[in-house]
Amino acid sequence: MDVSTKCLLQRLIRRIPSHMLKTTLDQWSRLTAAQIQSVDFTESKRTLTEKLLAICEENECSVSQIAELEMIHMIENPNVGMWYAFQLLEPQDDACTLELIQFKEQFKSHLHQLLRSVSIKIKRHTDDAVWIRIAWGDGISRPNHLKPTYVVHYLQTSYVFVTSVTSKLKPLLSQALVLSTKHHGIKDANLSGRNLMAIRDLLMNQYQQVFPSKYPSLLAEENQTVSNPRIEKEQAQMAADRHKMACEAFGDGTLPQLQSAVYKLETKFKDPTNKTMTDREGTFKCVVKFASTNILESLRHCASSGIASIPVAPLLSSVTLKARNRFVITDSDPGPSSQIHQAQNNLTTDS
Amino acid sequence: MERTAAKGVLSHLCLLEVQARSRRNQTQQQQQSRVKELKAQLEALIVRKERLKAEIQAHKELQKLRLSMDKQNAPEEDENMDDDSENSTLLRTMARHTQLKDLLYAHHLIGGYDIIRIRQGKGVCVSITTAYEAIYLDTYNLEINLKPKVRINRHNIPPFIPLNVLAEQTNVERDINGFLDTVTQHLNAFAGRKQQLKLVKHKSVEVMESNVLCSILVLLFTVPREKTAVLCTLEYNDHTRCLPTRVLFESEDKQLPDSPQWKKNCNLLMETPVHRALLIMRKAGNIV
Repeated sequence: MDVSTKCLLQRLIRRIPSHMLKTTLDQWSRLTAAQIQSVDFTESKRTLTEKLLAICEENECSVSQIAELEMIHMIENPNVGMWYAFQLLEPQDDACTLELIQFKEQFKSHLHQLLRSVSIKIKRHTDDAVWIRIAWGDGISRPNHLKPTYVVHYLQTSYVFVTSVTSKLKPLLSQALVLSTKHHGIKDANLSGRNLMAIRDLLMNQYQQVFPSKYPSLLAEENQTVSNPRIEKEQAQMAADRHKMACEAFGDGTLPQLQSAVYKLETKFKDPTNKTMTDREGTFKCVVKFASTNILESLRHCASSGIASIPVAPLLSSVTLKARNRFVITDSDPGPSSQIHQAQNNLTTDS
Repeated sequence: MERTAAKGVLSHLCLLEVQARSRRNQTQQQQQSRVKELKAQLEALIVRKERLKAEIQAHKELQKLRLSMDKQNAPEEDENMDDDSENSTLLRTMARHTQLKDLLYAHHLIGGYDIIRIRQGKGVCVSITTAYEAIYLDTYNLEINLKPKVRINRHNIPPFIPLNVLAEQTNVERDINGFLDTVTQHLNAFAGRKQQLKLVKHKSVEVMESNVLCSILVLLFTVPREKTAVLCTLEYNDHTRCLPTRVLFESEDKQLPDSPQWKKNCNLLMETPVHRALLIMRKAGNIV
C-alpha cells in the first residue's frame, strides 16, 4: 500500500465513529473473521487506526477496495456535507424502461469518454437508490480519492442528488448523467441541505401532507389530549384553525430537515417614508436567509402560533409546495406585489 | 318615657301591618308574573310541538318519495304526491338530495374518489384511494384550481406518476372526469405492483432488481434438483396494469427457457400476479 492509500485509509477510519466501525467493516467483508476478532473496538481511535492499517497492509488492500469501504460508510451515514438536488428534463421515450445495468454501463462509458482519469463506483442500495462515487483526476494525475463526489439517483424519477463538485467538473458530470439517463437536459432544483433523506422526501412528496377531506380519519379522534379539565383555552377554535392551516401549508408530524431558506430580492425599494432609498434608480439587491436546525418545523410553528399571518404567505409555503429553498424574487410590472422567478441553470445537450 | 314606648310599640305594629299587607300584594304580583311566565312557556312548547309534527310528516313523505324514486329510478314520477305543488317540488328536491348523498357515500365505500370544494368553490380537493386484492392501500390527494384556469395546485402523488403529461393527454380543462379516471388507474396499478413486490419479498425469493415505479422486477430462482439458477425479468411497461408486459428467463442451462415447463411458467407469469404465480410454481416443483 502506498502513501496516498495509507493516508486515505487513515482519514477514513478516523471519520467513522467507533460504534459504527465494526458493522461497517463486516459489511465491507474484505477482512477475515479472525482479523476482525483480533481488534478490540473499545480502544482509542489511534490504536484502532494503527491496528486496522496493519491488517489492511497484510491483506494488501487496494485503493479501490478502500473507496468501497468509504462508500459503504457514506451510504449508512449520508448526512455529512451538503447535498444539492438537480432535476433531469425532457425524458426520451425509452427513459422509463431504463435498467440498472444499462445505466451503469452508459454512465461509466460516457464519463470515461469525457475525462480519461476518473474512478467510478456504482452501487445499488436496498431502497432502489443508485449511489455513484466519483474520484476525479485531471489528464495527468491519478484520481484524487480524498475529495470524491457522491451522486444519488432513483431510476425512473427525474431527480439527482449530488455532493460537492467543482464548477469545472460539474458540466462533465451533468453531461454524463443526462446521456446515461436518456434525458435532454438538467437543471438546478434550487434545493439543498445537509440531510439527504430530507431533500429526497421533499422532492418525492414522501412526507406527511395534510389535505381537507370529507371523511376525516379515525386517528384524528385519538388525538384529544387528556389535560386538566378545569383549564379552558380561550380562542381554542382559532388556535385549532391556525394549526390546521399551518399543517396544510407545511405538513404534519415530523417534517423533513432543511437547514435554510434563502430569498434573493432584486426589487425596487418601496418605502414612502424613506425618500433617498426610494428615489434611487435600479434594483435594490438584498438577500434574506432563514436558518434553523429544522426550518420547516420553525415555519410551521410560526404559522400555528400566530407569529406569521394566516393564511400562510406564498413565499413561505413555496418551500414545501415547490420543494425548493432558494428563491429569486423580482418585481412584476406594474403593481406593488413581487413575483417569484426561478433561477435556472440550464445545461442542454445537442442530440 | 311611656308615651315614646307606647308610640314605639304602636308604630312598630303599624309598620308590621303595612309590611304584611305589602307582602300579600307582592306574592300576588309574583304569582301573576309566574303565571305569565308559565303561559308563555306553554305557548312556546305548543309551537315546537307543531313544528316537530310538521317535520315528522315531511320526513314520512320524503321516505315514501325516496322509496318510489329508488324503485322506479325516475324522479319525475309524482303519483304519490297529493299536496300542493310547492310542497311537492320541495320534497322531491330534498329526496333527490338525500339520494345523491347516499350515492356519493356508496362511491366512497367502493373505493372511488371523493371530491370536496375548497376556497369557496374556486377549487376542489380530490381524494383517490388505492386498493389491491380487497385491501385498502394508500390514499392520494390532489388539489385542483378550477377558476380562472384548471390547474393542479398541490398533491402528494409521487413524481414518477407523470401528472402533467396525463393532464395534457386527457385534456383536463374540458374533461376533468377523464383525467381523474386516468390518474386513478395509474395510481391503483402502481399500488398493486408495489403490493405484489412487498408480498414477493416476504416469500423469500431473491429480488435482484426493482425500481421505485415498480415497473421492472428481476428475480433469482433456483431449480430444486439441479440447483441451476434462473434469472427472471418481469417488465411492466404498461403503467396502467398490474401484470407484466414481458417475461424473460435467463439461465446457465441454455435449454431451460425453451423447455415446455418453463414456457408454461412464462405464460403463468404473464397472466397471474407474481406472488401467486410463485406459489403455483413452487407447488409444481419448478422452483425452490
